[in-house]
Amino acid sequence: MTDRSAAQYAPADGAREIAVRASHVSMDFGGGVLAVDDASFELEKGRFLTILGPSGSGKTTLLRMIAGFQKQTAGEITINGKAVGAAPPHRRSIGMVFQRLALFPHMTAAENVAFPLKMRRFDPRTIPDRVNGFLELVKLGGYGNRRINELSGGQQQRVAIARALVFEPDLLLLDEPLAALDVKLREEMQLEFRRIQHELGVTTINVTHDQREALVVSDDIIVMDGGRIQQHAKPVELYRAPTNPFVAGFLGLSSFVEGKATADGDLQSGDLKVLGVSAGDVTEGVPVIAAIRAEQIRLARSAPALGACEMQLDATVIDTIFEGERQMYIVEAASLPGTTFRVYHHDPEGFGLFDIGDPVAIGWNRRDLKIFRHAAE
Amino acid sequence: MDALNRTLDIVWPARMMPYTGWALLMPALLLVGLLVLGLFQMADSSLHTLDRSTFLPSENYTLENYRTVVENATYGKIIWRSVLGAVLTVFFTLLLALPYSYIMVRTSSSAVRKVLLVTLFLPFFIGQVVRAYGLLIILGTTGVANNALGLVGVEPIRLLFNFPAVVFGLVQYMLPFAVLMLAPALTAIPRETETAAASLGANWLQSFRHVVIPMAKPGLIGAGLVVGTLALTDFAMPAMLGGGSQDFIANAIYDQFFRTADQGLGAALALMLVVLGSVFVAIVISIFGAGTLGMGGKK
Repeated sequence: MTDRSAAQYAPADGAREIAVRASHVSMDFGGGVLAVDDASFELEKGRFLTILGPSGSGKTTLLRMIAGFQKQTAGEITINGKAVGAAPPHRRSIGMVFQRLALFPHMTAAENVAFPLKMRRFDPRTIPDRVNGFLELVKLGGYGNRRINELSGGQQQRVAIARALVFEPDLLLLDEPLAALDVKLREEMQLEFRRIQHELGVTTINVTHDQREALVVSDDIIVMDGGRIQQHAKPVELYRAPTNPFVAGFLGLSSFVEGKATADGDLQSGDLKVLGVSAGDVTEGVPVIAAIRAEQIRLARSAPALGACEMQLDATVIDTIFEGERQMYIVEAASLPGTTFRVYHHDPEGFGLFDIGDPVAIGWNRRDLKIFRHAAE
Repeated sequence: MDALNRTLDIVWPARMMPYTGWALLMPALLLVGLLVLGLFQMADSSLHTLDRSTFLPSENYTLENYRTVVENATYGKIIWRSVLGAVLTVFFTLLLALPYSYIMVRTSSSAVRKVLLVTLFLPFFIGQVVRAYGLLIILGTTGVANNALGLVGVEPIRLLFNFPAVVFGLVQYMLPFAVLMLAPALTAIPRETETAAASLGANWLQSFRHVVIPMAKPGLIGAGLVVGTLALTDFAMPAMLGGGSQDFIANAIYDQFFRTADQGLGAALALMLVVLGSVFVAIVISIFGAGTLGMGGKK
């Protein structure tokens, strides 16, 4: 595979080249709601972008517009500087792995991989070598003569990847191909996608609703909801510094507190001042919503045992859930009636330290509670 | 329910359970058995020639009738015409049915789908004989077709009572059968597969040729078998649109049984037809394998 190293995709002078640019792209299927609403982003060559969002967020529509299967109703998409939309899909250089793989059942694995080469009129003498090379890349060397229905789910995934990459497309699109796999296989294939993408250096856009997958495989993540891009950031940044409550709630497990903003940027709920940091446009008196992750809340029998926590509250355990590697507690703070906190508790001594009804103390550091302006209802 | 169960226990006790399958199979076995019985009787009568003086079958067994079928050029011609007619009908029917059912399955407009379905089924409700009469009216010397040609200055041409007319009638008759068998086969092809073909560089035609047709193969073969056997054994279209000059085997059999009353020769022809049909099916299955028809097993 030496001839197909990352070098060929990397820009020669090391300059940052933009592979995909979407500017003010919208999709209107009619019915008053935009499936994609004014989406703009740039993707550098050779990077792995994941568009993450719940179903109905518009992520697949955005992908299909990039692929050229649907024409946006507003805005422009360019790939390598050329506007798409003019050329039909078969004239573009885009490899795509589909949700249900869409392999050709009447062909063998090798014939599936050779299909784009035949359609794109590669030199017939080079086709077998190229097919074998890519089957080896996806660790299916020797499986070329198998029919599709003789391959396992994971092997079929690999054939689909090889088929999408064999003609060295400018862009690889992944339309939730891992959604139907069981957890073990899915995690294995996530690492495979990452390995292959690194090996070839092909610019990749992946669509998923699986936040873990997005964090594991991506260089960049775009979070979408309601047709709009909510946040576009690197995985760590996205997780650590969400810019709105949707992102805070969608990645990881967060608990929310509602109230009003104070002058020094904290949250006032009734008589209680909840310490946190404000993210974005928060001014005194506006309604706000604060989010804190389950692993950032500390839990102890009593307040002194919490150690150094800037914010401390007395609470009662209302449910306890065993999750294998950790215990999750749902607690209700006495001073915040109606607000529950979900807390991950790693207990070195053993699980099941607290029971339902036990009085406990919870605490966190100011920087871990993010305060956002409450979206207008 | 309890009463029902108790009654069931009396009618069909638990120890009879292992035989339930056979019991349910009985009607089918009975039906096929009767057909086989009739076939044997036909075989028997095909081995007796007709005594022209007494109009009774001969006493002794003879292969004379088969010799007549094989040696008489008229029958050779009829058999050849039937086979050619069936093959052409299959070809043209599938050629028309494939795009028709493809559009019907893939169209995004439910109005188009409904129109296509109704257009397909309206003639289906009308019997074959009535449709053949309809075609007589349309294709006659002063019929709609010739009137239309007359408008553009073409002299009336004879569109009826020739071989193309019979094939035309058969194709028109078979189209709904073929579309009905193809539509599910095409529905079973995920749209995503065609999208994938497009993203891999196949244009519309290549996608149709390399993906849709191979994946619709079971439907195409099934439809071909049905259309082929129905066309091979058809009676009404050759009789009415052929006007007696374009007889198929079924017409020849009819003549032997009901006109010349030569049961033996008729039976010999009928058995020939059974053999022809079976050979046709056997050839198709041996080429494509029973597996492609979804009957299990591999090629």
